[in-house]
Amino acid sequence: MKFDTVIIGGGLAGLTAGCILLRAGQKVAAVTKGLSLNEAPRNRFVALGGVYLPGDSVLPGGEWRKNRLLRVYTKNLGKTPLEAENFILSTGKFFSRGLIATMSEIKEPLFNCELDYDTDRGKWCVSEFFERQPFENFGVRTDGQGRVFVNGRVAENLYAAGEILAGEIDIEQSAAQLCRNLI
Amino acid sequence: MNFDVIIIGGGITGVSTARDCALRGLKVVLLERDDLTAGATGRNHGLLHSGSRYAVTDTESAAECIRENLILKKIASHCIEDTGGLSITLPEDDPDYQSTFVDSCRAAGIDAQVLDPEEVRRLEPNVNPDLIGAVRVPDASVDPFRLTTATALDATMHGAVILTYHEVLDFIISRGRMVGVKALDRRSGRTVSLHAPITVNAAGIWGARMAEKCGIKIGMYPAKGSLLIFGHRICKMVVNRCRKPSNADILVPGDVVSVLGTTSSKVPLDECDNIRVTASEVDELLLEGVKLSPKIAVSRVLRAYAGVRPLVASDDDPTGRSISRGIVLLDHETRDGMPGFITITGGKLTTHRLMAEQAADLVCAKLHVDSPCRTAELPLPGSEEPAEMPDKKISTRAAATRHGSRISQMDFAQKSEVICQCEHVTRAEIEYAVRCLDVHNLIDLRRRTRIGMGTCQGTFCMSKVAAVLAEALGTPEKAPEFVREYARERWKGIIPVCWGESLREAEYMRKQYGNEI
Repeated sequence: MKFDTVIIGGGLAGLTAGCILLRAGQKVAAVTKGLSLNEAPRNRFVALGGVYLPGDSVLPGGEWRKNRLLRVYTKNLGKTPLEAENFILSTGKFFSRGLIATMSEIKEPLFNCELDYDTDRGKWCVSEFFERQPFENFGVRTDGQGRVFVNGRVAENLYAAGEILAGEIDIEQSAAQLCRNLI
Repeated sequence: MNFDVIIIGGGITGVSTARDCALRGLKVVLLERDDLTAGATGRNHGLLHSGSRYAVTDTESAAECIRENLILKKIASHCIEDTGGLSITLPEDDPDYQSTFVDSCRAAGIDAQVLDPEEVRRLEPNVNPDLIGAVRVPDASVDPFRLTTATALDATMHGAVILTYHEVLDFIISRGRMVGVKALDRRSGRTVSLHAPITVNAAGIWGARMAEKCGIKIGMYPAKGSLLIFGHRICKMVVNRCRKPSNADILVPGDVVSVLGTTSSKVPLDECDNIRVTASEVDELLLEGVKLSPKIAVSRVLRAYAGVRPLVASDDDPTGRSISRGIVLLDHETRDGMPGFITITGGKLTTHRLMAEQAADLVCAKLHVDSPCRTAELPLPGSEEPAEMPDKKISTRAAATRHGSRISQMDFAQKSEVICQCEHVTRAEIEYAVRCLDVHNLIDLRRRTRIGMGTCQGTFCMSKVAAVLAEALGTPEKAPEFVREYARERWKGIIPVCWGESLREAEYMRKQYGNEI
C-alpha cells in the first residue's frame, strides 16, 4: 500500500498532522496501538478519508535506502508493507512506549532515533513532584525541518511530532509546524 | 497536665512501651512529632525475624528474636503472616557455613530444618535454582503499620493519651530532676507542658538529639538501610542468604508486594530527617537481589525507601553490621545523674515488645509500682479471635487482614464502596480509621489502611480518597491539600526507581496531577 504520508502513532500529534495533510490532498495512513483517547481527532481523520489502522503496531527497523525510509511493516499487515514519501513518528514518550527507559539508557525502539537525554539516571527526576521533571524533556532530536537522526545522519523523510520530541512542546503546534515542510 | 510517665516517640518501641505501662495501670502520655511509624518503624523489611540471621554472630539477639517471634505470632496474629523462611546457600557461598548456621540456630532455640535443594525448588519455584543448600527457619512477614496501629489502639483503650504531631521542644527540669516536657502541637501551633515523674526517650535514632537537650550524650550509630518494593509477591516465603549478614540478602513477601533489602551505611545524624535512596544503592540492591531470585531482574520496582537503624555505637565498624542488634536501656539517673529520664533504644522490630517490657519494668521500679508485664499474654485488638466475616467480598477480606476482628466496627452494609482499587479499601474502612485510628491526613490514612500502597501508588484513587477522607474529617476544603502532600510523599519513593514500567507510571501520574492542583 502506497501513501503520501504514513503516520506512526495515532495520538493527538499524529492525527492533527494527518488531518492537515488530508486537507492538503494527501493520501495518509495512521497506524496506532489504539489507546482511543482521541475520539474527536480520530473521527475527523477518518471523515477526511484517512486510512486508520487501530490495534496495530509498526515493527522496528523498516526498509531503508541510504537515509531514506522506504517502507515499514506492521504486526497485523504481515508481509504487506506501508510505503510512503514521508513518515511521521508520533509515538509519544514513555507511557505510550514511544521511548523505552531501562536502568542504564533510554531508547527509541522503532528506528533507534538519536535522543536528547541525560545519561545519568540520578538526574531524570527532581524531588518536587509539582515541578516539570527532566524526563519530561527527553525525546528525539530533530533538524530544522523536524527530521530525526538515525545512525548519526538525518533521515531524509522521517519526521517527528508531538511528545516524542525533546524539550517542552505544544503537541498540536508541533504537528502543524511540521506539516508546513510536508505540503 | 499530669501523668505517671511521658513517652517520646511514636515508633513501635514507644507505642509498645505506652501499651505496657497503660496495662500496668499507669497514666501514660505519648508524644510523636509526626505520625505513628513515620521513622524507622515504617521503613524496614516487615520481617519478623526468627533470629536465625543473628544465630552465628549474636546468640543473645537470636534467642531474644525467637522468643519474641513466638509471642507475637500469638498476640498479634492479624499483623503477621506466617510465611516461614528459607536460608539458602549458593555456589559462591562457603559450603561449610550451613552446618555452623544450623547448630547455632538450634543452640539459640530456633527450629532449623535442612531441606533438599530439589524440594526447595519445588516449594519456591522463583528462588535461585542454583542453590546448593537450604534451611527452613520460622521467619514470618509482619506489617509494622498495623502492628503499631493495633498496639496504639490497645494503649488508648487502656487510658493512654497518644498525641501525634507533637514535637518535644524542651525538658522541664526541676532541682536536677526531669519532671516533664514542653511540646509544640504542630497542627494548632500551641505549646503544651506535660508533667510526669518519669520520661522515656523512645525516639529511635532521634533519641540522641533528644538526650542532648538535657546535656546527655548517647553515642548513636545511624546506620541507613535502603530497600526496594516490588509490585507483586515474588516468593511465598522469606528468603535469606545463608552467610554472614550482608547487603540485599533478604526478600520478604508482604500483602501483595515483596520487599528486598537492605544496604547498610553510616549517615550523619543531622541527615536522618531527610534520607534519600541513591541510584547506586538501587543498583547494588538489584545486583545482589537477583541472587535470591532471578525474577527480581524482571519484576517492576514500585518504590525505594530507607530507614535509619537506631544502633548504639560500640566500635569503628564502618557499616554498622557488627554492632549488636541487642536492646539498650539507659537509666540516666545512674548513668548521667538525671533522675526521671530513661532511654530505650537499639533492638529490632521483632524484639519491640521485650524492649517495652524492660523499659516499663524500670519505669515501675522507679515509681515503686508493683505490677507485672502482661503484654506477652494479652492479644492486640483485632487478634483476640478470628474475624467474623459479614460477607464474602474481597474488600471485606482485605479489611480483615488489616484489622482482624476489629472489622466488626466497620459499616460494610452501607459503605462497601471500594475507594482504593489496588488494596480494596472501602469507604467503611476509611471512616473507621478516621473514627478510631487517629488520622489527620492522607499519609496517616495510608499507614492505617494501605491506601495507595499498591501498584498504582495512588495514581488512580488519590483524588477520590482525598475527597472521602476530607469529608469524613469534616473538612472538605482540605482535599486538594491532602492530594498535594500525598503526591509529594509518594514521589520521594518513586524517584530512585524511575525507569522502565515505573517511569511509565510516573509520567502518567505527573499528567494526572502534576499541573492540576
